[in-house]
Amino acid sequence: MPVQVFSFYIFDRHSHRVHLLQALDRPLHHHAPLSTSHTSSDHLLTSPPTSSSATLHPHRASAPAGSLPTSSSSTNNGISGGGAYRDSRSAATRAKDDAKLIFGTVFSLRNMVRKLGGDDDAFISYRTAQYKLHYYETPSSLRFAMLTEPGALSMRNVLHQIYINLWVEYGEFISVYLGREFLRERVCSIEDDKKKTRNGSDFRGPSPLSKTPLSPVEHKNGDGVRNEMFEMGLDKFVRGLM
Amino acid sequence: MSSGPCRKAGLGWSNWKKKPELRRAGETSVENGLPKWAVIALLIINKAGGLIYNRTFGEGLNQLNSNDYLVLAGTFHGVHAITARLNPLREHQAAHFYAQQQQQQYSASGSLGGASSSGGGGGGGGGQGGPLPSRPEPPSGLEVMETENFRLQCFNTQTGTKFLLFTDTMQANVDVAMRKVYELYADYVMKNPFYQLEMPVRCDMFDRKLNSYIREINNSR
Repeated sequence: MPVQVFSFYIFDRHSHRVHLLQALDRPLHHHAPLSTSHTSSDHLLTSPPTSSSATLHPHRASAPAGSLPTSSSSTNNGISGGGAYRDSRSAATRAKDDAKLIFGTVFSLRNMVRKLGGDDDAFISYRTAQYKLHYYETPSSLRFAMLTEPGALSMRNVLHQIYINLWVEYGEFISVYLGREFLRERVCSIEDDKKKTRNGSDFRGPSPLSKTPLSPVEHKNGDGVRNEMFEMGLDKFVRGLM
Repeated sequence: MSSGPCRKAGLGWSNWKKKPELRRAGETSVENGLPKWAVIALLIINKAGGLIYNRTFGEGLNQLNSNDYLVLAGTFHGVHAITARLNPLREHQAAHFYAQQQQQQYSASGSLGGASSSGGGGGGGGGQGGPLPSRPEPPSGLEVMETENFRLQCFNTQTGTKFLLFTDTMQANVDVAMRKVYELYADYVMKNPFYQLEMPVRCDMFDRKLNSYIREINNSR
């Protein structure tokens, strides 16, 4: 049974959005080819943190909103302007705000459900007249949220499959790998700073990369998964549902 | 052809161990003297997010203290407002509506022979004979929430009062029950001359009628 999937979010335990896939349905979108909105979301997800505070404190969970450039993508919003029915925000800002709102909603509902139904209870889905949100949370507090058409059946197993077959299979492995790369860049820049302060003494300490954390790699500053295989697999999977 | 049913029966026997377990799991709650209630609780939230009525009809949910219930009502009120805003199709609906409106303006100005279409700005241009563009229906907030242990049905009235009905996950026809509850509210709360709007509901008749109605539902299962 085909299901219209509107969008799909993954949040890590620090509430940072890890992945966003927007796959709108065909009839409402016919002037543009059906595609994941990488043009706008990649901009958000894969922008490297350039501020020096982020480089100096790689382990601090800084707020994702602060360091993201948003103004650059506001110009290529095709349907801007146009009267009272237009949202004045740019598409990128809107996507970011939506992600925050979805996380907030899901988080409060989850807490509410736990309070009412006991600690073993889990929030599964909610439905409005326009859409239905399916939710799945892993034991490590990785949160999956999928927005579909309101008539969709329970997608819990689908989210579970995405976790098992895609996230664990590609995502985790390669994000650990990429996380290392990412760390290496940061470490190098820190060490460069150190070198500068030491007036060129050729110091290279033991690489902290050997201490790669076993816990899931953090995705700071709204940094995306940045994993082609995962994204392709997810794209294919979600497309298969529709 | 007789091998088919036989094989099915054989499969049934191989699964024999699982099925009684499942059935027993469903029955234990009744056998323990704790009847599995269909309708567990009713909450009424006024349009400002305050809790004005709270009644539990059976076990199934944790008992919270009154302060927690107030917090819960406020939280739900906020979440409800957010879920109404999070319509993934709002852009498309708005664009569709806008395009429709514009198209109609053009056709109207064309048929009038170059008459100025200044009246078209005000949402459909008034009664010009043509069909008005269909305005997208206003977003509704959360209507049903499902969890592993219970199901929450929310009914938002025109005036913003919310009725939350907590049922078990298998309960059917919650809409009917909800309508009946709303009817009782209209009859025995709103028509009570001593009831002040937006204030906590303390009406004996409402309590009694609600109790008897919910008991009827819960016993009919």
